[in-house]
Amino acid sequence: MRQTALVVCPGRGTYNTTELGYLKTHHATRGDLVERLDALRRSTGQIPISELDGTEKFSPATHMTGDNASLLIYACALADFAAIDRDRYDIVAVTGNSMGWYLALTAAGVLDFDGGARLVNNMGSLMHQHGAGGQIVWPIVDADWNVDSGKENLVSALLAEASINSSIQVHISIRLGGMVVFAADDAGLKWLSERLPKDDRFPMRLMHHAAFHSPLLDHILPMAQAANPLVDFRSGAISAIDGQGRVWSSQAFDVADIYGYTLGTQLNRTYDFTRSIQVAAAEFAPDRIILLGPGTTLGAPVAQALIASGWRGLSGKADFLARQISEPLILSMGIADQRTLVTG
Amino acid sequence: MFDRPTIIDEAFVRRVTAQDFPVARNHAAAFQVPAHKLVDLFDSQIMSRHLDLWARRSKGKTFYSIGSSGHEGTAAMAAATRATDMAFLHYRDGAFLIQRKKQAGGLTPLYDMALSFAASADDPISGGRHKVLGCAQTFVPPQTSTIASHLPKAVGAAHSIGMAHRLKLEGALLPNDGIILCSFGDASANHSTSQGAFNAACWAAYQHLPMPIIFLCEDNGIGISVRTPGGWIEASFAHRPALHYIGCDGADLNDAMRGCEEAVGYARARRRPVFLHMRTVRLMGHAGADVEASYSALADIEAAEAQDPLLHSARILVEQTGMSGDEIVARYQDMRARVDRVAQDALAKPRLETAAEVMVPVEPKFGAKTSPPLPNAAARDALFAKDARNLAKPVTLAKSINFALADLMLRYPNVSLFGEDVAKKGGVYGVTQGLQDKFGAARVFDTLLDEQTILGLAIGMGHNGFVSIPEIQFLAYLHNAEDQIRGEAATLSFFSNQQYRNPMVLRIAGLPYQKGFGGHFHNDNSLAVLTDIPGIIVACPSNAADAPGMLRESVRMAHEDGRVVVLVEPIALYHTTDLSAPDDGGWTAPYVAPDAAQIIGFGEPAVYGMGTELAIITYGNGYYLSRQAEVELRAEGVDLRIIDLRWLHPLNDKAIIAAVADCKNVLIVDESRRSGSLSEKLMTILTEAGRGDAASRITAEDCFIPLGPAAELVLPSKASIIDAAKAAVA
Repeated sequence: MRQTALVVCPGRGTYNTTELGYLKTHHATRGDLVERLDALRRSTGQIPISELDGTEKFSPATHMTGDNASLLIYACALADFAAIDRDRYDIVAVTGNSMGWYLALTAAGVLDFDGGARLVNNMGSLMHQHGAGGQIVWPIVDADWNVDSGKENLVSALLAEASINSSIQVHISIRLGGMVVFAADDAGLKWLSERLPKDDRFPMRLMHHAAFHSPLLDHILPMAQAANPLVDFRSGAISAIDGQGRVWSSQAFDVADIYGYTLGTQLNRTYDFTRSIQVAAAEFAPDRIILLGPGTTLGAPVAQALIASGWRGLSGKADFLARQISEPLILSMGIADQRTLVTG
Repeated sequence: MFDRPTIIDEAFVRRVTAQDFPVARNHAAAFQVPAHKLVDLFDSQIMSRHLDLWARRSKGKTFYSIGSSGHEGTAAMAAATRATDMAFLHYRDGAFLIQRKKQAGGLTPLYDMALSFAASADDPISGGRHKVLGCAQTFVPPQTSTIASHLPKAVGAAHSIGMAHRLKLEGALLPNDGIILCSFGDASANHSTSQGAFNAACWAAYQHLPMPIIFLCEDNGIGISVRTPGGWIEASFAHRPALHYIGCDGADLNDAMRGCEEAVGYARARRRPVFLHMRTVRLMGHAGADVEASYSALADIEAAEAQDPLLHSARILVEQTGMSGDEIVARYQDMRARVDRVAQDALAKPRLETAAEVMVPVEPKFGAKTSPPLPNAAARDALFAKDARNLAKPVTLAKSINFALADLMLRYPNVSLFGEDVAKKGGVYGVTQGLQDKFGAARVFDTLLDEQTILGLAIGMGHNGFVSIPEIQFLAYLHNAEDQIRGEAATLSFFSNQQYRNPMVLRIAGLPYQKGFGGHFHNDNSLAVLTDIPGIIVACPSNAADAPGMLRESVRMAHEDGRVVVLVEPIALYHTTDLSAPDDGGWTAPYVAPDAAQIIGFGEPAVYGMGTELAIITYGNGYYLSRQAEVELRAEGVDLRIIDLRWLHPLNDKAIIAAVADCKNVLIVDESRRSGSLSEKLMTILTEAGRGDAASRITAEDCFIPLGPAAELVLPSKASIIDAAKAAVA
């Protein structure tokens, strides 16, 4: 019997050293898709995707900048999406994190493959050229992935303090399960780094990332809208859940609205990935949650979002890991064992 | 024949697949809803329908099986209104709530509704306490609309919008251009409560007061088993003064949207009431346990099912969106599967497991707000500029309440005072005299003569940040409106799991011994209608020294904690000055300003005297009469103390037991009837504390109060208290 699945699309920063060659390894048979992307890249004078994926050595300066990473991740994720065994899985909804929203739009059929590629490539380049500020990640959960109210309160207090300090700009960029991603200007990033308690790798500055999903990118909106036409947007085929937890059901929305959100609020206001996962899980009750590659970094935030809402009684990290062994909730296509369960 | 849900479900699939649709049954001017909006509304409709079907299939696992089937056209009203337009919903408005929550985004309407059906403790509106339609984030206070009792408060909320705007009220929750939606069935439209609400709305609008409300009457033509006469709703409502009537067909999404948008546009722009008469059908009977075939002919049942609004929606989708019958059926079946999956998750969630869990929200959340600081002396001096002479001398109970109200209204800008005759006249007994002059007609005003409206107004205003001090002129007049306290105000915290509050301090002039006018209805001596209601507070100030402190504590609790407080004021003591002898002034007291006054905390009784031979427990007039008796009793050697309960509900058991702990005997003096009065509770408390053998009581007779001097025959008196006290210590 087919199982129902929620598909989650990755955001920026998911193609790293270990993902080099992802397309070549997993999608050698999908050369036609990659070629279409390469053609787009050549037309804009950018490095072809196949070349980025096929290079011998991973170069952060090349692979992680927005103009290259964005479409590279799009290629991997959409190829993964196409690889899902649809005889085994009935995809009932899609969502994504941050840039993953563009990928989710394509998976949902709101954009076609080429339209999605143009959007991703345009936005990656725009952010690379005109992005401002940066992002800092900080965890707000305890060792068992339950929200630590002390840390949550600290985040609120810092935001309140920053809001009355005219010399810095600090915002919530992404609510990412057990982590908060701050968006800030340079002074704000420094200010945050000094105030957030140190713990292992955190607070962690995300290199090559701008102050996504914050008012620091207000200036991007007109450029984004000029570069991406409304005609690329359609009424979709699968329900998509956005960064506010809003469900866009196929044919049940005005394409101007989803365009307005995607190239408006989505760009300069908080992206609540936590909520999007919680809404998708509650409203569609999937048997499985499939995380598209590249990378595996979204697994923990998805689980943490589900723990926070008590989805199916999920109580913490230990409980989650135990269930992953007995009856996995999340199938991450970036993990070989789990990938085979998805692709058949 | 009896499995109508399955018949309706299968008919939809069969007929839509075959594109066998009912003929459009309205011929209003062409109004076409955009294709994407039609699909969106249809999704809400089929989500609601599949929830109903699931509920009917899962008896024993889901509860309160009253459904929304046939009324799914209400989704159009959600599409026409804003999320900040507060909605008090009919129990058949599942599709409305789904649509509104979908539009808000980030919410989980399907999962939430499934939790509610399953009585899960995770249900976000009531926490598993009732299958109510409500949502704190989208301005839908929880309702079950059982007997149209929600209409008066909807009128109150509509009135509050204009008031808040006029007063520039800080902390108002509803926007100045907001409107109120209130929906109900055709049968409920006949209820006296709803008739009172229509009348009040028209009464206000007739004199050009803002009344931005839509009364959405969902007319399915039947109330449980009783048919509404054909054309009755239109005949009854199409020509009322100041009420704009609009008709629409709830089975037809185009016409439903036309009617809803027209109604919303009118109410929002003109700030006047609209009666939107939406034709619906009722499918699957009144509720799960209702066998419709026992009172309706099969042909009638089938005729209603043939007009299933989902069939009409499918017809419109084919006509206007180009979707095929197969595509529509596929969407319907996908939704069924989705609802079933979500339902399984909801059923796995825990229900309330202990009485303590259930009872958490009987009382609202404490300390949700803070009180404003005391006003400065200059503001207070200006307020009382004309009262200097009266302030300087001891005052009566009535005057002390008057001054205390003035001080409270100065301190709390969200306090509003209203009732019959309270403004210009200053109340039947002059308790509110001069307050309108001090605070203006927006804050102190006369209402029409309808107690349900007065209490509904208080509740509705509480939904918009006000703390109301309504007045019921006489205790006997409360009874035609008591459901507004019992069924509505008192239950709001419970059914909303502390998310909604309707703070108020209800003043009621009451209790017996009132001379002059006399008669039962102005001497009502039964408090039982109030003193069994969980969560509310009932208090009775007996004298001028206590009343201001008790009023201040009551308003504090209403404002900070969202409490419903009822203050029963003894009419007979309002203007009493003397206690034991003419001109002794023993029942007056100086009015002490709030900054110098002693606080009287909730539940604190007053104890007069230190005697240990006898303790008299009493309140109101009983306290006054006991104080009169005390002089003679003491002269005869009875060493006693007198306890004024002050706070009558809930009774402070510990304080009462402690107050009589060192007394040999206890006498309860209760001016209310022997049956059902506080004396019974007090005897129980004393008995359970091991003091039963020491306790006795004197009460009013189980009788109504007759006219003239005969009234005293059925009530405790100074003499009968003396006799009872002597007997107690003998």
